[in-house]
Amino acid sequence: MQLERWQQVPAGTRDLLPHEAARVRAVIDRVLDRMRRWGYREVTTPTLEYLDVLVRGEGAAVGGRLFKLVDRDGELLALRPEMTTPVARLVATRLRAAPLPLRLAYAGPVFRWREAGSGRLREFPQVGGELVGAGTLEADAEIVTLAVEALRATGVGQSSVSLGHVGFLRGLLAGLGLAEPALDGIRTLLYQKDFVGLRRLLEAHGAPPPRVRAVLALPTLQGPRALEEARRLADTPELLAVVEDLAALERMLRAYGVWDTVTLDLGIIRDFDYYTGIVFEGHTTALGVPLLGGGRYDRLLERFGVPLPATGFAVRVERVLSAGEEPADAWAPDAVVAFDNGSREAALACAKQLRERGLVVAVEVQGRSWDEVARDAEARGAERALLVRGEAVLVRERGGRQRVMPLAALRDGEAGGCRE
Amino acid sequence: MSCVTIAIPSGRLQEDAVRTLEAAGYLAPGAWRETRRLILPGAGGTVRCLIAKPADLLTYVEYGAADLGIAGKDVLLERAGDVYELVDLGFGFCRGVLAFPEDSAGDWERKHAVRIATKYPRVTERYFWSRGRAVDVITMHGTVELAPLVGLADGIMDLVMTGRTLADNHLVEVAELFQATARLVVNRVSLRSRADAVAAAVDRLRGAAGRRAPAPR
Repeated sequence: MQLERWQQVPAGTRDLLPHEAARVRAVIDRVLDRMRRWGYREVTTPTLEYLDVLVRGEGAAVGGRLFKLVDRDGELLALRPEMTTPVARLVATRLRAAPLPLRLAYAGPVFRWREAGSGRLREFPQVGGELVGAGTLEADAEIVTLAVEALRATGVGQSSVSLGHVGFLRGLLAGLGLAEPALDGIRTLLYQKDFVGLRRLLEAHGAPPPRVRAVLALPTLQGPRALEEARRLADTPELLAVVEDLAALERMLRAYGVWDTVTLDLGIIRDFDYYTGIVFEGHTTALGVPLLGGGRYDRLLERFGVPLPATGFAVRVERVLSAGEEPADAWAPDAVVAFDNGSREAALACAKQLRERGLVVAVEVQGRSWDEVARDAEARGAERALLVRGEAVLVRERGGRQRVMPLAALRDGEAGGCRE
Repeated sequence: MSCVTIAIPSGRLQEDAVRTLEAAGYLAPGAWRETRRLILPGAGGTVRCLIAKPADLLTYVEYGAADLGIAGKDVLLERAGDVYELVDLGFGFCRGVLAFPEDSAGDWERKHAVRIATKYPRVTERYFWSRGRAVDVITMHGTVELAPLVGLADGIMDLVMTGRTLADNHLVEVAELFQATARLVVNRVSLRSRADAVAAAVDRLRGAAGRRAPAPR
């Protein structure tokens, strides 16, 4: 049967049912809560931005992966494809005079154009944080630690963070002794992660063989021996500086107590080219795509007129959820409340008090008979159904056991009006 | 060491891919020829292998359903995937060429806009765009050579190995767009989260590619 448009949602978008929405909310809240304890305060930016803002932040190439709209006055707008650029705009405008460093957090949906049928979402939730105004390794260590903690807070098992540095790759390329057009081709192949083509191109340009080997070794330059190996490959002051930075960062992350979750990995190649320093990704063995990504971007804010260093990360919430087991929808109200003629006031007061004690209470609104209400409560898995009659209440526990008790006793928490 | 999943393409590259896995000691000789199963445990229990359509193979690797895969460079060019391309396995050599019927091959460049039938629409469009020429691409899924014979297209862009099919259908090659061989591709997360097992498999397959028994022609 052909589905009508009104029965569908656009390709790459999703409805979330109550138990799914609850999981998304729980992950976002846990990550935000963790960041709040580190002093990161949540900001909200519009879902829509001027196209100019996004192009200024991410370069003209971003245009190809945006959902764009034309405002009535002809202005080009776009749905934000990530949050770092909007937050940079916010910092450069409304927060320009705020004391530094700024610790900001955010959560919300982002949008990226994808081919329909690619199985990729076009709208998905992100939660993340940015540390603006500190260009130090201490700031990088804080952000990486926060990323580790965020990953832990999501509850994903067997997770780890791979930590690299774009300076190492750039240093290796600079040392090839090649001119700009050739380097451009090499960078393109690196972004495509085509190491077969890279070897051919490097050899064709007559790059020094040790350098070629170093570039080709990047994908596996990771793990406990990576730093040692990188130090052996580092033959320029720039490369040595990167290696020393990573060594210092390792000491800081050990001090933070998260080094056992971090792997040094100089082969990390991030899709966004605004990164200028460390870059990192979070993974779990259960999923073939990264759960979070981030890094240092010291040149982004100057595009908005405030040359501030910054570092940050974002979590892909829907990937976190798909990495875990989807639990069955076990939700049920704690109590269902019905009442006899004339007992409305007592019943509603009782429901209110139970809610104030933290219970989930639904009041009968369809005027059904007590039998029907009790049967429905049982079917939904409610702990108990209550029928208020004047000063007394008939309590029907799940499973069918019934008894009558004074309303006052129920309100006072006797007989387990709650299950704290 | 955890078990590594390797995706093998069905069709043109399958025989050589299986031989490479046999040479690496990952598959018992002949194991695959005796079964119609799509997924096989490897010899030694450190790998398992699955067979996928070439067009779907990158999807398996991209999503991590397979840690490694063997894919033709032609597929990688057509559908840029988010995977690491690490080793040229050397087999499955073929060329992507533009071909026209014998009687129009001489003057195809004088035509204002040409219509090309192909299984590689993006590669074809990129080629024409990079030369500043207009092209109408018709995407097909098989027997591309038929299209110019029945007036569906002016010419074709297709893979050739020996050129026999072109000649049999009175088509003449006018340009080579790419050369392709089989490549070993790796999921970006597997490379990190299961680094030791994956790196070991990459090294073993790299070595095996040179030693593989030649496929019968």
